[in-house]
Amino acid sequence: MREELARLWQYRELLYSMVNRDLKVRYKNSFLGFLWSLVNPLLTVFVISYIFKTAVGNAGQNFSAYVLAAYLPYMFFSMSIMDATGSILGNISLVKKIYFPREILPLTAIISNFIHFLLALVVFFAYLLVIYILYPGSLPFQATTIYLPFLLLISFLLAAGVGLMASALNTFYEDVKYIVGFVMQMLLFLSPIMYFAERMSHDTPRRYLALNLINPIGILCNAYRKTLLAPQGAYGLPPLPIEWGLIAYAAGLSLVVFVAGYWVFNRFKWKFVERP
Amino acid sequence: MSTAGPAIRVKDLHKEFLLSHSGIASLKSLVLQWKRPSLEHLHVLRGISFEVAHSECVGIVGRNGAGKSTLLSLMARIYKPTSGSVEISGRVAPLLELGAGFHVDLTGLENIFVNGMILGISRKELEKRLDAIVEFSELYNHIDSPVRTYSSGMNARLGFAIAVHVDADVLLVDEVLAVGDYEFREKCQRKIDDLKAEGRTIVMVSHSGDDVERLSDRCIWLQNGRIEREGDPKEVLEAYVTESTNELASQREEAMTPTNEAECEAGPTS
Repeated sequence: MREELARLWQYRELLYSMVNRDLKVRYKNSFLGFLWSLVNPLLTVFVISYIFKTAVGNAGQNFSAYVLAAYLPYMFFSMSIMDATGSILGNISLVKKIYFPREILPLTAIISNFIHFLLALVVFFAYLLVIYILYPGSLPFQATTIYLPFLLLISFLLAAGVGLMASALNTFYEDVKYIVGFVMQMLLFLSPIMYFAERMSHDTPRRYLALNLINPIGILCNAYRKTLLAPQGAYGLPPLPIEWGLIAYAAGLSLVVFVAGYWVFNRFKWKFVERP
Repeated sequence: MSTAGPAIRVKDLHKEFLLSHSGIASLKSLVLQWKRPSLEHLHVLRGISFEVAHSECVGIVGRNGAGKSTLLSLMARIYKPTSGSVEISGRVAPLLELGAGFHVDLTGLENIFVNGMILGISRKELEKRLDAIVEFSELYNHIDSPVRTYSSGMNARLGFAIAVHVDADVLLVDEVLAVGDYEFREKCQRKIDDLKAEGRTIVMVSHSGDDVERLSDRCIWLQNGRIEREGDPKEVLEAYVTESTNELASQREEAMTPTNEAECEAGPTS
């Protein structure tokens, strides 16, 4: 693996310019450009908040910020893993003609979505500031925000690991793309994004909770919400503390997934051009 | 770059492909064909060894399916050898398909950078050569337009311009001299001549005996994945052409024979 990483390092400028190309191409022909990547989550969160406030009821104070804090990382996982999954097959004509480290393709998809995520987080903090100015109360920014880089690193490793593995497998079995799409969609419901983890831990027997919490994406989405926003209990329940044990589990799992994903990718990468 | 030893060393190179009859792979084919995999081994290269010295130009000829393009792709590191090895010293510029890596929504200029970096050039180096590349491609005003507005000729021109300006030690040329209009073909040929004169190592695949004879110092004739003959371009080409015409003639004879009989039966009066 060290040899592969050294070769990737040689081609770092290519990776940089591919990410650049990706970001440029995505918004070059649209009127709103980059704003599209913000309009989408903001409108989605607006709709979710609206439905929960009117139809489901008892959403809690400043509900939309809590949804947004968990929905933005979910969007990153979903978009980056989906983009990475199709990246090799989408560029197969390039792969068949020129040599370059193949992992650049899925990594480009992950990195460019990661940059969107970072920009979206900037907008998220601006959103908090606006709410604070409109409804002055306690300052919405938390000291625990300093854990953000750590959470970002774990999220990146997890997305890259899954993306590398899925892109390699999808080159041979195109069903992988549909499986990944379905799983990501289910995770939107299985992760505490549109609801609070407090609700789950209160109503649900432990064994169902495990299904919900064992998924690292759910744990990470919840961790973003817990560290970026003030603790808030929902439905009259006291807020749960930040669960470092679960976050450590997610971090360990992400590292394992990353190493395994890169290993799988390297095993298959010479076969991409020869796909039957 | 050391000039000691050959520029290219190909040792007992084998390449085998798996051919699937089901077409696109899917989980379906995996499940359905679990017990009877319909995979066929296709032995394209069967033990090829040769060396190319620095500044040498080698032409490769052979029928369709003889393994010429596979050999070139192996040299370009697109495939991994089934067994054997390819060693190349110095930077390689593959001119296999011009403009293959272009992104249609980016401008010509932006594509020069992406494509150049794929070929292993740093941004700094590319900036230095930018003018030369644009000038060679003759795209001047169009260089800031998206590549999707280019004609196929313009595409090929830009692709060729990038590939020959990456300062490669070894050029792999696959039939690309046959693209573009007459004028541009001339220009490409002149550029290849220049590169040869500068002392680059060139390996070219061509159906055109003229190109091979004019440029190569040595010619390799591939037949069924093996080297049939190797040596002076003139002699090898002569042997290759003779063999091809003979085979063609015998094929035609075979094809003609039953027809003749049929005609005879149909027209006994003649």
